[in-house]
Amino acid sequence: MLNEERVILMTKMASYEEGEGKKSMSLGRYFRGDYISLQLLRAFFSSTIAYLLGLGLYVLYDFENFIADIYKMDLFVFAKNIIIWYAVFVVGYCVVTYAICAYRYARARKSLKLYYHNLKKLDSLYRQ
Amino acid sequence: MSNLLEIREKLKLLYSRNEFILLPVLKFMLAYLAICMVNGELGYMGKLDNLGLVLIVSLLCSFLPNGCIILFGAVFSLMHLYELSLEVAVAALAIYLIMFLLFFRLGSRDSVILIFTVLLLALKIPYVIPVAVGLLATPLAAVSVACGTVVYYMLTNISDNATIISSMGSDEATAKLRLVIDSVLGNRAMLVMIAAFAITIVVVYLIRRMSIDYSWSIAMVAGVIIDLVVLLVGDLVYDTQLSLGMAVLGSILALLIAKVLEFFRFCVDYSRTEKVQYEDDEYYYYVKAVPKMSMPAASKTVKRINTQRRPVRSVEEDEDEDMNIAPRRVNRSVVTERTGTRDGHARSSQARAGGRSVTISGETESETAGDYEEI
Repeated sequence: MLNEERVILMTKMASYEEGEGKKSMSLGRYFRGDYISLQLLRAFFSSTIAYLLGLGLYVLYDFENFIADIYKMDLFVFAKNIIIWYAVFVVGYCVVTYAICAYRYARARKSLKLYYHNLKKLDSLYRQ
Repeated sequence: MSNLLEIREKLKLLYSRNEFILLPVLKFMLAYLAICMVNGELGYMGKLDNLGLVLIVSLLCSFLPNGCIILFGAVFSLMHLYELSLEVAVAALAIYLIMFLLFFRLGSRDSVILIFTVLLLALKIPYVIPVAVGLLATPLAAVSVACGTVVYYMLTNISDNATIISSMGSDEATAKLRLVIDSVLGNRAMLVMIAAFAITIVVVYLIRRMSIDYSWSIAMVAGVIIDLVVLLVGDLVYDTQLSLGMAVLGSILALLIAKVLEFFRFCVDYSRTEKVQYEDDEYYYYVKAVPKMSMPAASKTVKRINTQRRPVRSVEEDEDEDMNIAPRRVNRSVVTERTGTRDGHARSSQARAGGRSVTISGETESETAGDYEEI
């Protein structure tokens, strides 16, 4: 005999597992600290590569003048500026990444909590 | 309204039944349009402007994740740019990589939004984007919209300056690079557009999430007005050559499309809003419940009721039957149309009247009604 309540619950859960649940479950395998650390590590490398690309474009943008001025400019100050901007850029990007990942993790945990609650409910329905 | 609701339910049913076919078909069309747009806008490499190749790539995209449409679009555009100039292609690749590493990595779920942004900008109806995105997505989708806007303006600018670029010699490599970088960083019209879209998305999102009646309608109107105001202020300050007439027309179109989206996504009946208040051991609850408007699609069940009384078979009829002449039988059919609604849903006048309409008609039945339910 079909139990309508059980079928509805299972359909909802299957739909969750196929859609939003996939991402939430992959997030749920991590502890919060581990997940955010991993994302911050990725953000660090991404922002470093992006900064280097941006720096390359900046140099190439006015390459003739840059080559002409390279012997006149204070290379130490130039390098210091590059490093300061790099630090500001990477830290800023990591802060934004941290905020987004913390929000995503909290949302995923919340939806997983509901999913596990439904699992328990389904289990109790089978025991009846 | 009940007819519209019924059509909506039928469309939903049609989609849910044929999702496994419709989704790849829609992705195929999206990929085809995106690649055709790139070929039409740039089109420097003749080999890529081949219908067979475009169809094969679109077919591939229909089975691959949405991000692949962006990947193929980027590859096609880079190959066209490489044909135009190596330096331009390198600069475009660097800009693509920066966008991917910094922005799109965080909002990769919204890859469809990026494609739609580029397509709608190419079709000159960009004002739909921020309102629709604000209604359907989160503020993070503004990143995808901004990336799409940058890609569109960069490609358009390169396309506009193609003759200048191709006339430049190999010793003017930095000038070519400068042209591409200026098309991104120095394009004030693009920056104003990005700012207007981002502000609109955030405003629409915040208003539609508010617990007020007609929040979606208010959000879309407010969004359109703010979008126009920011674009006009940007035009006044930076002289972005904004066409006011097109902006107003585009905004009206955006409102219409937003209304259609609202009908499919958030159709509620505020006149039947219920406000309830209760408490448990720990909290007081103030709950506002707004019922959704829905109407189950009418389903028809035709039942044939065979009359039990059969005419007395006379000798003549027996003789007719013997002569293979089919006897005329009078049957009665009942057409039952379900029009009932679920509790708490909007009711049509017909549904209020009874929930089930029955038509009984006597007719001469042929022997072809194999699908009918026998009673």
